[in-house]
Amino acid sequence: MIDRAIFESLQTKIDEEAAVRDELHDIVQNLARKGRSTQATLSRAHSTPAEQLKPVLEDATKEILAQKEEISRLRSVADKHPFYKYNGLWSRELQNLVSSVELCAWLGGLQEYKSSSSASFLTMEEVGKFLDIPVNLKEEDAFHLTLEEYLLALISMVEELARLAVNSVTLGDYDRPTQINQFIKDLFSGFQLLNLKNDILRKRSDGIKYSVKKVEDVVYDLSLRNLIPKGKSG
Amino acid sequence: MEPDTVRSTAGIKRSWDGLSLRNETRNSQPPTPTMAESALNVHSMFETFRDELDQHHDRRERLIKTSRDITALSKKIIFSLQRVRTANTPLPPSIAKDTKSRFTQILDLFRSTIPDITGLNNWRYQRQLSPGIQEFIEALSFNHYLTHQTLITRSEVAVHLPPEILVTEEDYVMGLFDLTGELMRFAVTSLSAGSHSQGQGQSGTEAEFDERNNQSGLPTLPPAQAGVVRDLREIRAEFESLSIPRRHGGMLRDYGKKSEVMQNSVEKVERAAYGILVRGSERPAGWKPDLSAGTEMEIY
Repeated sequence: MIDRAIFESLQTKIDEEAAVRDELHDIVQNLARKGRSTQATLSRAHSTPAEQLKPVLEDATKEILAQKEEISRLRSVADKHPFYKYNGLWSRELQNLVSSVELCAWLGGLQEYKSSSSASFLTMEEVGKFLDIPVNLKEEDAFHLTLEEYLLALISMVEELARLAVNSVTLGDYDRPTQINQFIKDLFSGFQLLNLKNDILRKRSDGIKYSVKKVEDVVYDLSLRNLIPKGKSG
Repeated sequence: MEPDTVRSTAGIKRSWDGLSLRNETRNSQPPTPTMAESALNVHSMFETFRDELDQHHDRRERLIKTSRDITALSKKIIFSLQRVRTANTPLPPSIAKDTKSRFTQILDLFRSTIPDITGLNNWRYQRQLSPGIQEFIEALSFNHYLTHQTLITRSEVAVHLPPEILVTEEDYVMGLFDLTGELMRFAVTSLSAGSHSQGQGQSGTEAEFDERNNQSGLPTLPPAQAGVVRDLREIRAEFESLSIPRRHGGMLRDYGKKSEVMQNSVEKVERAAYGILVRGSERPAGWKPDLSAGTEMEIY
């Protein structure tokens, strides 16, 4: 004898879960839409000389702050459910946002959230403070930025900076490729400390070496032709 | 590896020099911390990250291994249970002893995972443990069906597990899908076993039952076997009436495929029942149907 109630209660559970997913999905959609416009603004950095970057960074900061509001909406809904049950729904968009935050900070924006004005990127804790979310939780089951998400965001930022190194030269900035080179190498040596298994982090971090090479080639081309401004490189 | 590290460490030193210069010229900010200091920060930051990622990978691998062990034990239970010929009766003692000790081992394995899946980590590693849980549900629900001839509920499954182990709807549904495969094997073997005793004219209780219920004198299935066929048909109908939204995370991936396999299983049993009924008496004693074939192939 088959008890029909079993399948009825299954259907109820499935419907409840679908409702949660729909609610989260709507917020993530908004976050993604705003994320695309943040990224579009930040990509103007590729065609804007460093000294004219300020308005671009101001626009980007505004858009990032708009995304931050979506994050707090997301957080309030997600906190009602087990974190890792639905984490996959927003993980990608959160990474994109963190990567935008890091890029904006590297370009000279978001000064007030850096540990020191000279710092070129935000630590995970600083990102959390800026976005007003916990980071890297170990025990408590609540919304947060995970370590993997932070690292993946750094990798996206590195890829963007590799592109920027090439475009800086086109814009007549012969100084920036050297700065990018040093920064990327710094992060690259950090990633080399990690014991990565066959997962997404491994796959993505394998790509850093190509970014490093791309930037190294630019720096090599410039130094070979004595094009690097004096006193600014090692 | 080593020359690389040396080179990039050398690179770091220059990096902070370059960076501080840039910042001074552009933002006229106060001087930066020394280069070595900043490089050290990144280094120590990633060292903490490494330790955390190592712990994560260790937990993950431990759970994957446990899940595999649980799967293997569950499969052994299912093999033993396939030697049973009738549903809704207590298991034969030898088989009961066998499965009981394996269920105990499985419970111990589940208990051993608890430290790795507390708090936040409970859902974090759900996917690693899920294959084992599904196979366990398949074994447990098969065992339950053979002894009670009913479907085990999700809460009845949970009773057999430590409270920390999640019995998700996904795993439960997937376990039940696999159960239909086991019921198919069970139904077909018990159908053929039941039929040729009739064919040989050993008029047991089943044959008497036939005569009582069948004024027309036409062959019908013995009630025990008919029950399994009916149950499978009902399970199929219930599964088909479930509607799974497209955006349903884990369940969607396998649902279509598993559902097809389940429909095939039910159809095999229906054809087997038909074949046994109409042509069963013409089969030689001890003949068993070929279960490896698909439904399209005529197995009867």
